[in-house]
Amino acid sequence: MSKATFRLDKADRSLMQRLFEPPAVGKMSPVASLLAYALLAAWSLVVLFPIYWVVITSFKDAAAVNQGPFYVPFLDFEPTLDAWRAQFTSDPYCDVPSIARQIGLLAYNSFAFIVSPVVTLQPMEPQICKIFLAFTNSIVVSIAATGICVAVGAMAAYALARIQYQPKIGNVAIFVGLIVLIIIATSYAGVPWWLASSIALALFFFLARTLGRRFVLSLGNGDILFWIISQRILPPIVVVIPIYIMFQEVRLLDTHLALILVYAVANLPIVVWLMRDFFVSLPIELEESAQLDGASRFRIFWEVVLPLTRPGLAATTLLTLILNWNEYLFAVFLAYAKVQTMPIMVAAKNAGEKGVLWWEMSAVIVIMIIPVILMAILLTRFISKGVLMGAVKG
Amino acid sequence: MPAGSPKVPVKFDKVQKYFGPVKVLEQFDLDVAPGEFLVLLGASGSGKTTALRILSGLETATAGRVVIGERDVTNILPKYRDVSMVFQSYALYPHKTVAENIGFPLKVRRVAKAEMDSAIREAAAQVQLGELLDRYPRELSGGQRQRVALARAIIRRPSVFLMDEPLSNLDAKLRGYMRAELKHMQQAFGITTIYVTHDQIEAMTLAHRVAILDKGVLQQLATPAEIYNDPANLFVAQFIGSPPMNIVRGSLEGRHFLTNGARIDSPAGGQMDKAILGVRPEDCAVVAPEDGVLKGVIYTTELIGDHTLVTVEIGDDKLTVKAPKDINGNQGDTVGVALRREHLYVFDATTGQRIR
Repeated sequence: MSKATFRLDKADRSLMQRLFEPPAVGKMSPVASLLAYALLAAWSLVVLFPIYWVVITSFKDAAAVNQGPFYVPFLDFEPTLDAWRAQFTSDPYCDVPSIARQIGLLAYNSFAFIVSPVVTLQPMEPQICKIFLAFTNSIVVSIAATGICVAVGAMAAYALARIQYQPKIGNVAIFVGLIVLIIIATSYAGVPWWLASSIALALFFFLARTLGRRFVLSLGNGDILFWIISQRILPPIVVVIPIYIMFQEVRLLDTHLALILVYAVANLPIVVWLMRDFFVSLPIELEESAQLDGASRFRIFWEVVLPLTRPGLAATTLLTLILNWNEYLFAVFLAYAKVQTMPIMVAAKNAGEKGVLWWEMSAVIVIMIIPVILMAILLTRFISKGVLMGAVKG
Repeated sequence: MPAGSPKVPVKFDKVQKYFGPVKVLEQFDLDVAPGEFLVLLGASGSGKTTALRILSGLETATAGRVVIGERDVTNILPKYRDVSMVFQSYALYPHKTVAENIGFPLKVRRVAKAEMDSAIREAAAQVQLGELLDRYPRELSGGQRQRVALARAIIRRPSVFLMDEPLSNLDAKLRGYMRAELKHMQQAFGITTIYVTHDQIEAMTLAHRVAILDKGVLQQLATPAEIYNDPANLFVAQFIGSPPMNIVRGSLEGRHFLTNGARIDSPAGGQMDKAILGVRPEDCAVVAPEDGVLKGVIYTTELIGDHTLVTVEIGDDKLTVKAPKDINGNQGDTVGVALRREHLYVFDATTGQRIR
């Protein structure tokens, strides 16, 4: 290599080198950064334009929408509050006392939910501001479902990350066989379900204790994990009819509890999978040290593991919350009147003889996305880096 | 530290450990005296850390018993064993301050706040951390983190201290300093301590007794001096000492060791086709070719400072001689090597056992 190809001084570099070579390690070359920012700007446009469109559409009237497309308020079209009025003031039940009563009910129900075995959840009054009803329903359902889901899922994920399970395949087969027997006994022989299940349970423990000792083949944590994620392989539409019938049988249709339970179960696999990765990546010495220091397993989980996985926990919570907030399919089947959620409200604007009421739909959508944005801002504060710094490195 | 804290013996009784088909520890017997500083020394994979983890309860033995004091703790949870451990990585809780880290063992035992505070301050003072109680681990240097881990271990006065290579993440200077601190502290507290390391200097300087492990088998358990001067087998002889003991291959005939045409008076007698003669570098001397028991060619010389290491090639073997720093000798020179007869060791080349 000749000496001339080495240009150590910045001033010596040719124009091409200046454009295409990064000025320092860890920096981008001018062309690359131009390209990167151009792409980012273009993508931002793709992401932000629909939001802008929804917001301005909510201030349009029928004429502005139908003769459209109009892009700029005041220049292209005259903004109006019609769509918003349709949601609030023109609804006869949207006066302040009703809303106050609703808030009271919501507070009571939040409390009742915690002690739900003792106190029954009050149904929200149907003759009341529809948008407010849907909004509170959505909040109650998605927060409660997310809470259950993350709490149960995180504990399950921790157990799967740190405890080695070895369920024998034979025992699993016995369990499945007994369930089939219960179904046959209850549906064809008329045995009461509680009798059949308790006999089956006793039989299972007996068989697992005796016959189970002879089984050799066993599953591992990986198989359990796959079993959990496999719950998400089926599209929800496949299971929605059985679930509908199930809730019909236990008379929980159109209740908060039904939606909360379904949402919690549906998103559990996601929480388990995400959280397990965070737990596995924690240095195990911290937990071993706490164990030697005398902490119980639950204390270790609560006081050592959870604080260190807080960013992951926040991200998982946010994701679950958004999934629950936006859920439509289960809501449309299981909650037809009293516990309608926001997505149902949005879809409802697409019905009736007047066609799609784009402006009203946009207003509802704006109401619907505000809490999500607030939640995201709140939770990203927790998604900070460097929680583990100083734990194990010398 | 109250002076009258009970000193507790520790006993491994025929402990075995398998990870699946892999044997990690085999028939491991070890008696640790009350208040003793015992070092488990071995290369990585020797089973030393596994032995420590079995004692702590973080690992369960496949067979055998572990006894702490009077209690058989083989199947007892770690938290009921009354041991505390310093990890190689320190394992500090990064979201807790130094004070919270040190106080954690007391917190889980529901010790009253005032009592806990004074205990934290006392423990911190013992490791010179008094100023840093409000800092977080990420704001500390390696040596300071190490001392937090130490303070957390001493605060609840365990029956047994366990240390898993606690100094190996420190730089050389700090390691020397902390070594002295550890030794002083252990002496002062008198708590039975089991210390795992792969560093022979740490083992020699810290231990009352050293247990050398290789491939899951205890090779020798003795005081540092005995380990050095009276190794039980070839592995121990070569593992301890820097540079390691020289070995010369040959055969044993009566009271003589035969190698490379030389006939050396042997400290042990016997008849053996394949034997190994061991001699430490400091027990050799470079002399004129006609004066040495062995004759060879200088392979290389290295000036260390207070001495020079001369490597002499004799047949297929290389002998390292710890020579005076001002020795003259160039690569390729023919020299003799003199050996001190009273410091020769003979080993069976097939089993590695010492022949006495």
